Amino acid sequence: MPILRAIFAVILLLAPFQVLAYDVLVLQSLREKGYDEAVKGVRRECKASMRTIILSDYAEADLTRIIREEHPKLIIAVGDGAVDLAANQRSTPVLYMMALSPKQRPNLSGVGMLLDPVKYLAVFNSMGSKRVGIIYDPSRSGSYLKRAQSAARRIGIDLVAREVRTPKETPAMLDSLRGKVDAVWMLPDITAVSPASTEAYFLFSQGQSVPVVTFAEVYLTMGGAIALGIDRYDIGRQLGEMSQSVLNGTPIEELSPQYPRMSLSKSNDGVLRRLKIKIGSSAP
Amino acid sequence: MTQNWNLSRYRNSFRFRLYLIFTGTIALLTATFASFYVMTEMKGYRNTLEREGRLLATILAQNARLPLFAENEQALSLLAAGTARYPSVRFVSISNTDDRILSSVGNRKNIENAIEMSFPVTSPGPVLSPEAVLLGHKPIAEERGIGWVRLHLDTSGAKERLNKLVAASIAIATLFWVVVSLLCYQVLKRATSSFNRLLAGIEEIGFGKLSARVELDGNDELERAATAIYSMAASLELRELENVSLQEELLKAMKLEVQEEKMRVMARLIHTNKMTSLGLLLSSMAHEINNPNASIRFSGHNITKIWRDVVPLLDGVRREEGDFYLAGVPYETARDALAQNAVNIVENSERIARVVQGLRDYGVGDGKKVRPYMEVNTTVSAALSVLACQMKQDVQLKTSLGNDIPAVAGNQQQIEQVLINLILNAMQALPGGRGEVVITTRYDKGAEKVVIDVQDNGTGISSEMIDHLFEPFQSTKLDKGGSGLGLYISQFIVTEHGGTLNVSSQLGKGTLARVALPVKQLLPQLEA
Repeated sequence: MPILRAIFAVILLLAPFQVLAYDVLVLQSLREKGYDEAVKGVRRECKASMRTIILSDYAEADLTRIIREEHPKLIIAVGDGAVDLAANQRSTPVLYMMALSPKQRPNLSGVGMLLDPVKYLAVFNSMGSKRVGIIYDPSRSGSYLKRAQSAARRIGIDLVAREVRTPKETPAMLDSLRGKVDAVWMLPDITAVSPASTEAYFLFSQGQSVPVVTFAEVYLTMGGAIALGIDRYDIGRQLGEMSQSVLNGTPIEELSPQYPRMSLSKSNDGVLRRLKIKIGSSAP
Repeated sequence: MTQNWNLSRYRNSFRFRLYLIFTGTIALLTATFASFYVMTEMKGYRNTLEREGRLLATILAQNARLPLFAENEQALSLLAAGTARYPSVRFVSISNTDDRILSSVGNRKNIENAIEMSFPVTSPGPVLSPEAVLLGHKPIAEERGIGWVRLHLDTSGAKERLNKLVAASIAIATLFWVVVSLLCYQVLKRATSSFNRLLAGIEEIGFGKLSARVELDGNDELERAATAIYSMAASLELRELENVSLQEELLKAMKLEVQEEKMRVMARLIHTNKMTSLGLLLSSMAHEINNPNASIRFSGHNITKIWRDVVPLLDGVRREEGDFYLAGVPYETARDALAQNAVNIVENSERIARVVQGLRDYGVGDGKKVRPYMEVNTTVSAALSVLACQMKQDVQLKTSLGNDIPAVAGNQQQIEQVLINLILNAMQALPGGRGEVVITTRYDKGAEKVVIDVQDNGTGISSEMIDHLFEPFQSTKLDKGGSGLGLYISQFIVTEHGGTLNVSSQLGKGTLARVALPVKQLLPQLEA
């Protein structure tokens, strides 16, 4: 009997360590429905054991200690805050998602929130717009704009870009595009598109009779013509596949950052009809 | 004076007062409505001004949203100038949340009584940041203020409008009042003309001309009132005639009654005079009788004394000389007879004195003397002594005087008079002067009264007569010298003593007269 008691005690003592043994540490910036959707997509594709930490629940999460004690094989960072925290360590590979402006670091890859500019350009192309106005903050969307300009040149679209440093500059910059563009591309740039200046895009669209192609369906109700949105669940699945690949032994350096592979396209037929725009066959 | 009379005439005129009430009420109503109209219009004007101001401010706030956000002062100036072009707007300013004015038009210091309005400039509520949009957040209805739009509205127009409205209202109200007052006057004049004619008719009736009539037009309330008043006047006239007739009849009746009363009074005076004469006669008679009677009584006493002294001498003579005769009667017999005769002389003389005294008391006694302790039995005896001479052989007068009868307060002479009347009536009621008269006295403890009954077995009194028994001059013996005042006076005396006199009778069986006198009651009227 004493021997049995000793065995039972050892099992009980080891039980917590069994619980803490996992492969993937999910760092989620905050409790957010959109993040939850994406994480659900990850779990759909990646069957590895996971532990989720919501950073907003802690005053300051000591990621270094967690990694040192728990030895996760992979960190999945959800949201800009989590990406920033995870990028500070180099020992464990990090895959990010749902981050608007992720940093470029070694040992860091993932799926961004911005769709491939080619998809937007295809929309402009289908509408026959050759001069597309775009307002952007170089510090936030500079690299994205470069890729977009490069792709635009390939298909013969002229991107008329205007830089803004503060949200207040947006109306004036939009005003400077008067008569110079056939369409406006609304980027998910928090400097270029602030709640106060959003209206300016659609007033410009109305005043100049040019369509605004935006990044979310909600803008269609304000006067947007076409919205190319992201599918958060599919982003999760896309990242889940990458995670599984990393867990299977693929080095993370071999996995370059990806654009969301799926886009959700919606249009405001009333606006398109009023602007007399017909969508060609090249639209996504 | 004439002016005062005129004013008084107008003040008392129903038409004038009605006209004053009507015109006053109309003036009050007109002023109220005019004031209400002016106030409502001014309130409406101010509301319209405020509504216009709110609308302009809302539009300006909406339009200034982006320029304010971008702090585009040029665009804001254009917007402010556009709003300031409205005539009611005197000052426009657009400021940010720090209250820094980015654009203003007009001078706010030179405006008096202006309506100030402040409206927030807000960013569109349902718009989210790109990040929130990508995370799938739902738009929320939250507006964030980014500045203020302020308007000062000019109210000088309101003052001008108020002045115009007041002037127009006063003019219209005055015109309305004048027109309605004139109409009222005409209507009142027409309505009260019948009234005045009716009033004139009523005044004529009031002055006594009850036959006065005024013809009124129509069949309205006035006509009906006139008919009612004329009916009343006719009825009054009829009543007046009836009154005159009744007054005449009354006067006649009064004259007749006075005449009869005069006769009754005269009869009483005659009777009183007769009684007074009788009293004097009785007094004279008493004086004339008392003197010889006193001499007789004195002589009787002397005879008794002398005979008392003579008897021993005559007894000696008879012893010595033998029996002898006096006035043909043996001395032995004459001796006792003479003594007895002398006693009879004295007794009868005293009786004569009592009778005379009784007659004297009855005739000339003090009629107002009240005895606090009057013995009823004594009174009965005194009455009987007065009546002794009236007694006839065929009349059996029986007395049953009760013992322990308490004294009553009263005038003995008056009660004697009552009893004499009752006993005489009883004796006169006996058929053929034969019969029985019973006088009973007793004390009714229950009623605390002394009762004197005079009962006869005479002819009785008929039921028709008994109802008028106590009325004056009611007698069946007026032709035999009866005055018809005996029972009338007797009841008066008994009533004055606080007692009652009742007569009950059965025709053919007799009559009972009952006098009941209270024991304890004093007679203040008699005492007086």
